Amino acid sequence: MAAGFKTADLLEYYRRFLKENCRPDGRVLLEFRPTTLNIGSISTADGSALVKVGNTTIICGIKAELATPTVEAPGKGYIVPNVDLPPLCSSRFRPGPPGEPAQACSQFIADLIESSEIIQTDDLCVERGKLCWVLYCDLMCLDYDGNLRDACVIALLAALKNTQLPEAVISTETHLPVVDLEKRHGLKVCKHPVASSFCIFDESTLIVDPTDEEENLSTARITVVTEEGDRLCAVHKPGGMSLSGQKLQECINRATVRQKEIQKLTDKVLSSVKTS
Amino acid sequence: MEVCGISNVTLRDFSCEQSLLSRPDGSSSFMQGDTSVLAGVYGPAEVKVSKEIYDRATLEVLIQPKVGLPSVKERSQEQNVRETCEASLLLSLHPRSSLTLVLQVLHDDGSLLSCFLNAACMALMDAGLPMSCLFCGVTCAIAVDGEIITDPTAAQEKECRALLTFAIDSKKCRVMMSSTKGSFSVQELQQCIAISQKASEKIFQFYRDSVQRRYSKNL
Amino acid sequence: MPTDTKRVRGPDVSQSPSLFVCQPADGVSPQGPRADGRRRDQVDVRPVFVRCGLVSQAKGSAYIEAGNTKLMCCVYGPRETERKDETDMKCGRLTTDMRFAPFSCPERGSWIQGSQEKDFSTMLQESLQPAVCLHKYPRSQIEVNMMVLENSGSVLAHAITCASLALADAGIEMYDLVLGCSLRQNGASYVADPTSAEENDRGPDQSRNQGSLTVAFLPSLNQISGLQSDGEMSEDTLTAGVRTCIEGCYKLYPLVQQVLSRCVSRAACAPPPR
Repeated sequence: MAAGFKTADLLEYYRRFLKENCRPDGRVLLEFRPTTLNIGSISTADGSALVKVGNTTIICGIKAELATPTVEAPGKGYIVPNVDLPPLCSSRFRPGPPGEPAQACSQFIADLIESSEIIQTDDLCVERGKLCWVLYCDLMCLDYDGNLRDACVIALLAALKNTQLPEAVISTETHLPVVDLEKRHGLKVCKHPVASSFCIFDESTLIVDPTDEEENLSTARITVVTEEGDRLCAVHKPGGMSLSGQKLQECINRATVRQKEIQKLTDKVLSSVKTS
Repeated sequence: MEVCGISNVTLRDFSCEQSLLSRPDGSSSFMQGDTSVLAGVYGPAEVKVSKEIYDRATLEVLIQPKVGLPSVKERSQEQNVRETCEASLLLSLHPRSSLTLVLQVLHDDGSLLSCFLNAACMALMDAGLPMSCLFCGVTCAIAVDGEIITDPTAAQEKECRALLTFAIDSKKCRVMMSSTKGSFSVQELQQCIAISQKASEKIFQFYRDSVQRRYSKNL
Repeated sequence: MPTDTKRVRGPDVSQSPSLFVCQPADGVSPQGPRADGRRRDQVDVRPVFVRCGLVSQAKGSAYIEAGNTKLMCCVYGPRETERKDETDMKCGRLTTDMRFAPFSCPERGSWIQGSQEKDFSTMLQESLQPAVCLHKYPRSQIEVNMMVLENSGSVLAHAITCASLALADAGIEMYDLVLGCSLRQNGASYVADPTSAEENDRGPDQSRNQGSLTVAFLPSLNQISGLQSDGEMSEDTLTAGVRTCIEGCYKLYPLVQQVLSRCVSRAACAPPPR
């Protein structure tokens, strides 16, 4: 019976649940799905992480390459994040170049890296004006069930913390770079931003960590990125239904709690990798 | 609002012209200081079968930069503008049809995203499309010393610590869209929103004046 | 060169750090035990880890891990064919798309599908097609999407196994499973299920019988659905190689059966899917 009702009128089906302050998957309104993190599973990458938020799965692999710094910023390296939604992750994505959702998410991640200064790009410089590192951060979705951004940010952070850069110097004799793949060092990750996404149903009901179905039914989406010390580094709302200041504050409060939870999870996983 | 006593909001000189292009169904050019954007709206027209939505119109937003091809950055701005327009337009009145909004950058001197939004709103109005409310864009820059500058120029944007752009609706004066860069505190965010709401009153008054001027000329 | 405007761009040129390593890594020794301790000239395939039904959005999915080679496959469909002109009234279509993640190889790959990926996609499609009862799905298409998460050799062989498992998980009617196994011939000796280092090893002497072989095999029908070989091998070596690969496939078979039956019994116990 319930399954038939769901097929006939999905929105009404959701409304009935939300009226009782719960969701069809059994969560309360401001509850995240279980989040799991796996670090360093890809040995061909310099750093990698696999994140699952409910069903949504993101894998992030970081590859470091050497390049010449730009003339405008001779003492800085590059971080190049790209998000891909291959046809593998959901039936709605077609093969070919990334579509608008993937591109918008790539730009969001790029903006986030710049805003929060997760990595000081000065640290990526090997020799001023001559040689620097490029960190290609490739994020790939393996299972798309909503809330792409939160999962991407967790995966990116964990992969960056897992990254081990080989030692590189410019040889004084040949003036060519020399790399020692055996000697590696970690990156200095200064900040720990965490994203929390929300959806608004029918003007007033706020839910956190939406699934794909919930995202499609909602009237507005909002992503708040917080870091330690209750600072915000992004409040992204691409449009949709307008939002009152009070609701926004509710989002920020939940996001602050989430930041602590995820930072704890990341630290726990990182230390368990180190000790084993 | 928690924040009171906002001093007078200063915006650069605005100017706007509607129906300046003959081919599109609605067009506008919007200038905020030296930042200038040209907007054209086509539709409601026939829609490609692959993009057809059975109960409402399909809106497509295309942003053309001043030089070169649109990149990832433009794509993310397109998404912001599109979803804002979708929320204010009554798209269900034109099911299975297409609306196209083209935004051409003529000159970028800061606050570009807010200029896109303003130009888009004026062009949609000019096309005579039914809307539930109007919207306007306001950009706030937080300077290194914590001062909030509304409608910053490109030079001010470069020096600032954080840049926040909001779309404010005309009905309830609430935030429809938000896009930020840089890090800031919760208080600063609330302050910027309050200032933007204040600035939106001015912009909506400007909308009213310019539309009034246009129609009084025509009659 | 056209610039990619749909991705965040980095610097125009960047080089892999492995180009600047002071001493080149030692090549693979052509004699003695292999780097991972397996034996030469034996059907010593890597132990595999297989799982089915991991992706919630897909009709069927499978994940396979053999040594460090990691592959993920999702199957969507049967659904209406995208291009109306290709609709076949009598028979369904099987499409395959195989991609390498940019971080999957020692050198960073591009996001844009290369010629090797296209070749692999075609070979995968040709190996799977004979096993799928396509006449049961008229006017529709079945999509197989393969992602290589980490490439540590024998990618095509494992991709074939993984894809057939995903098809089975999706409930697509098939005559048989398809299992893949590959082999690298190096002069008189061979290695089964080679790693990427072994695959690229050209051997010290430019002797005859140098080549790679991948076989797709239908175990219960005892038929070969796909055979791909490159390099130069004599007739006898090639037939012996095919036999070895078949033997390798049979080693995989019990495990694959077990995983599949466990997946089916779990689905039978679980509440009906949404």
